[in-house]
Amino acid sequence: MNVRLLRLALRSTAVSGIVAVLALTGSAQTQGRGASFSPARLWDGKTPDFRGIWQVRDTAYVNIEGHPAEKGIAASRSIIVDPPDGKIPYKPQALAQRQENYKNRATADPSLKCYQAGVPRATYLPTPLQILQSPGNFAIVYQENHAFRVFHPDTRPHFDSADWWMGDTRYRWVGDTLVTDVVALTDHLWFDQAGNFHSNEIHIVERYRMTGVDTIEYEARIEDPLVYSKPWTLRTVLHRIKEPGARIIEDECLEDANGVRHHISPYDPKNLLKSDYSRWKKPAEK
Amino acid sequence: MQVPHRLRNQRRARRPRESEKVVKIIRTHHRFGLAAALCFLLSAGPSSLLRAHVTQGPTSAASKTLPRLPGGRPDLQGLWLKSAGGFQGLFIGSLDGTNLAAGGARGGGRGGRGGPVPTRYEYTPEAEAERMDRLRRGYEDPEARCHLPGVPRALDQPAGLYPVQIVQDEKYVVLLHEAMHDVRIIPTDNSPHPKNYWAWDGDSRGRWEGDVFVVDVSNFNGRTWLDMAGNFVDENEHVLERFTLIDSDTILYEATITDPTVFVKPVEMRFTLKRVPAEQQILEYSCLEGERSLQHYTEEDGGKKLRVK
Repeated sequence: MNVRLLRLALRSTAVSGIVAVLALTGSAQTQGRGASFSPARLWDGKTPDFRGIWQVRDTAYVNIEGHPAEKGIAASRSIIVDPPDGKIPYKPQALAQRQENYKNRATADPSLKCYQAGVPRATYLPTPLQILQSPGNFAIVYQENHAFRVFHPDTRPHFDSADWWMGDTRYRWVGDTLVTDVVALTDHLWFDQAGNFHSNEIHIVERYRMTGVDTIEYEARIEDPLVYSKPWTLRTVLHRIKEPGARIIEDECLEDANGVRHHISPYDPKNLLKSDYSRWKKPAEK
Repeated sequence: MQVPHRLRNQRRARRPRESEKVVKIIRTHHRFGLAAALCFLLSAGPSSLLRAHVTQGPTSAASKTLPRLPGGRPDLQGLWLKSAGGFQGLFIGSLDGTNLAAGGARGGGRGGRGGPVPTRYEYTPEAEAERMDRLRRGYEDPEARCHLPGVPRALDQPAGLYPVQIVQDEKYVVLLHEAMHDVRIIPTDNSPHPKNYWAWDGDSRGRWEGDVFVVDVSNFNGRTWLDMAGNFVDENEHVLERFTLIDSDTILYEATITDPTVFVKPVEMRFTLKRVPAEQQILEYSCLEGERSLQHYTEEDGGKKLRVK
């Protein structure tokens, strides 16, 4: 991704735009929508209990702007709720970059290199996540590539002296909604398999809100003045996985020296000792 | 929350290059923690410290002041850092040349390379030969290729480098390891191991025995090395771990590794985890393979390196 060049080109316009953008936006969309649900509480009697294994049910991971059905993949509508047309408000040069990414998506998608998926992409992958919680602690383990995020209270500033694959997350409770502030994401990340992208100037405000016993509404407001003409918001629903024995399965994703990506499944018997490390036993077996 | 512009500029300037194979963030301030821990161990004497608690568990006075969850179980939560012990492949030295990583053996160098190899592992003859071969083929260490470290290596990282965040409730004790961003979600219901599941980290089932959290780990995929020095296990590995909260800032970790096809007697491992000060936080670790430096890979793995016979 040619984000660095893009950044230079856009810098002058970005600075003037950002002030207006910040003033105009808010996340009023969530307020007052739907009947309010009062979640169960942790043992402190206060903290909303979001624990469980969760997964989205749509295929927005293919293209968050929506996509027609393909072989083996159901169609999906756009999960972008603001702007109302469901399209990311790219700046012109950024849109050209996205089209370029789309053209090269079969090889350019960073997830093909087994990088951690980033925020918010990890949330709506077709693999589950598990929310771990206790009073004062909040963490999410994503099955994909065993990525995890530890949410830190927003009483301390971001640790943002480097760029991370999963960003740096600060959170607070606003009523029963968990609101995060995420920065320091690397610019190697995409939102989906269709080349939608951001720079490392991205700033995300996530909202996790239980809308029922088994549903979490997930919203991410995304701001990146280098790439978008205004902030935009995506929203999806995480459903609780209730199958008995459901678990986060160990998932290793590695790219080998030839650039081929492997997911190593612990359920694949070929994985057991599929290795030259086991050859030491061969003499003993003779 | 807006990020100050100055910090963001720093961030861009220091962004790691994509070509870097392994991005490890090592915080220098941990060195002070390590030094402090070593001083503590040298003055207190690790053996007396450990013996007291292995046999008796926390004293009654200490157990009263342990942080506990409402169900009464000790609260293991927090950010923890291995202080000393374990990890055979590293030299953790004191000023008089004692290698604390090698159980106090004298002599310099990294335990696995220059210095004498500690003899805590008693291998079968075939396994011993394989171990010595792997010692020569250190570049085949699966962790060096970003594979998950397995158990107990997930915790048994070089002391003072990579902390582990523990989150706990009535159903799970979860270890979020900074190293290799390894995750162990351990149910505490003593449920049985699954069938047909073979993982780098195996399958962990925990239970509380009084104040001690005991974890039974099985279902390994048989590919794990225990350290950088060629010590290894196969798919018959079985680990029994014990986490004992000694005081509010110390966890005693003990692991017994059995593997009848590799070891003639169980391997005992023991070290302490110290609580990391609250102003520090776990960082992200990413291990990126696929930089295609084929000269580092054996031909079997699609590379150009010839296997050492």
